[in-house]
Amino acid sequence: MDSLQLGSYTFSSRLILGTGKFSSTKAMVEAIKASGTQLVTVALRRFNRDRMEDDLFGPLSEIGGITLMPNTSGAATAIEAVRAAHISRDLSGSPFVKVEIHPNPHHLMPDPIETWEACRILVRDGFIVMPYIPADPVLARRLEDIGCASVMPLGSAIGSGQGLSTAEMVRIIIRDSAIPVIVDAGLRSPSEACASMEMGCSAVLVNSAVAVAGDPAAMASAFARAVEAGLQARRAGLMPRSGMAVATSPLTSFLGRSS
Amino acid sequence: MTSLPAWLTDESLSAEIVPLLERRSEESLEQLAAEAQAITLRRFGRIISLYAPLYLSNFCSSGCAYCGFASDRSSPRRKLEIDEIKKELGAMKAIGIGDVLLLTGERTTAVGFDYLRRAVEVAAGLMPRVAVEAFPMTVAEYRALAECGCTAVTIYQETYDPEQYRKLHRWGPKKNFIERLETPERALEGGIRSVGIGALLGLSEPVAEAGALFRHARHLCRTYWKAGVSVSFPRIQPQEGGYQPAFPVDDRFLARMICAFRVGLPDIDLVLSTRESPLFRDGMAGLGITRMSIASRTTVGGYHDTDNAGSQQFEVSDNRTAEAFCQALRTKNLEPVFKNWDSAYNGPVHKEEVTCH
Repeated sequence: MDSLQLGSYTFSSRLILGTGKFSSTKAMVEAIKASGTQLVTVALRRFNRDRMEDDLFGPLSEIGGITLMPNTSGAATAIEAVRAAHISRDLSGSPFVKVEIHPNPHHLMPDPIETWEACRILVRDGFIVMPYIPADPVLARRLEDIGCASVMPLGSAIGSGQGLSTAEMVRIIIRDSAIPVIVDAGLRSPSEACASMEMGCSAVLVNSAVAVAGDPAAMASAFARAVEAGLQARRAGLMPRSGMAVATSPLTSFLGRSS
Repeated sequence: MTSLPAWLTDESLSAEIVPLLERRSEESLEQLAAEAQAITLRRFGRIISLYAPLYLSNFCSSGCAYCGFASDRSSPRRKLEIDEIKKELGAMKAIGIGDVLLLTGERTTAVGFDYLRRAVEVAAGLMPRVAVEAFPMTVAEYRALAECGCTAVTIYQETYDPEQYRKLHRWGPKKNFIERLETPERALEGGIRSVGIGALLGLSEPVAEAGALFRHARHLCRTYWKAGVSVSFPRIQPQEGGYQPAFPVDDRFLARMICAFRVGLPDIDLVLSTRESPLFRDGMAGLGITRMSIASRTTVGGYHDTDNAGSQQFEVSDNRTAEAFCQALRTKNLEPVFKNWDSAYNGPVHKEEVTCH
């Protein structure tokens, strides 16, 4: 399948971009355009109708060809996330919600218990629900069972740039999931995005690595190409990994031959 | 006096930053700054969150030697009435402020809890984020403020040296060192989401002060895992009382202290106010500092009614307009952010979460 299916929406791009941490709205818009992304997440915290030059929603809604996925960053509980999701849908008109619940405002690790509860309610309320989660295969399955459109396990802590430190767990999640698995958070370099796609992820979400790059637009473009390359490599069929050398000519082909 | 809490004297909690503070070479400062900048960029990106203070009143019942609003100062006393608060907040909103810090002195008959709660209610109706820097309160009072939309409480210990504290706080409720020290914990017990702490630099030996402040931050983060903790770095400024700091802190030490805190506490907001000069503020933005005040008035009111604002609590060093300061941040490739919160998340934080079945 050549496209990413989330709810009733189909996307040809497999790169999702975050909108925080940029040096300016202009830099953010240029990065989005350079990436070719079709799905962009934005925090309700950064909707600002009182000061347009501070507002992210306005400039994002003017970019053609992208769908907004509001996120609940700032929520510490399911109740707050549900409230934020409804406000965001009313403001943006988007049925997507990225559920982010991090009760500790410092390390920003997602709370699995509150996340499950919020997702259950938001699925019921008709959202296309995309939870940001710890790389926990059991939690991922439980979220799939209640109707989430995808799961978004973290590669490593938000903003850490530690890459795919959860790779083993993400592999299990991919193996066991029938819904798209999207690595979210911690990626530092395009090669890590490429590796995520090779591994079997349906998409990757990147923010810090693009936003803090010296040239965000160029980095966004590099990520887009890396995601494409990873997907192409997976489809092409990666050579199996082996711990020892494998002879290119069979060593045992003589067996069973008539002498 | 009640015995000191264990964390205050447990130097193992600050062992990682004290050596950074004791170094003096240019080279070591430059290395520390590079590390602090890299951590700040990775964790917070290229944004600086902005807030502005609104002094509700200069009534005070305490006699802090270093404060322009101490109860023995000759300045006329004033408090904003509720309709004045609305006008001041309206003027702040007009320059884009979405994050306000409401300040009072120590509790008095004229300015007590009921007045403050009403001010928070009014502010929360107009601003996404409301913080309070006022007199120490009870857990129940903090809970009531959280329910009215107060997101954060700032309370500076001023000095963590009990003996200096006793000398400087000459009379009034603020004399109680331990009660003040435990105030952030009462605020968090009451469901306030975030607390800001700080020491008024200049009152006590700076390395010891920085170590104690760092231990306080670590203690709060460790004890209240859902709490936001921020640290401010106020340096004593000229004020009506004419107090001269016994332990002046120079720019180099302050920069070193901020960078060391960033290295030791990579995830928390570090705050710098308009007490500091434009040169120092611009230099430290993004170099550890992630949150800054803007266009501040330290008079009572002063955003809407500029004629009757009266005297300042202390002299502001950075008098730039909001736009001029934002432009300086943009020049450094940093984005000024006026709204980085939403009232959807206001309300008390519960110890055991209530789910919404």
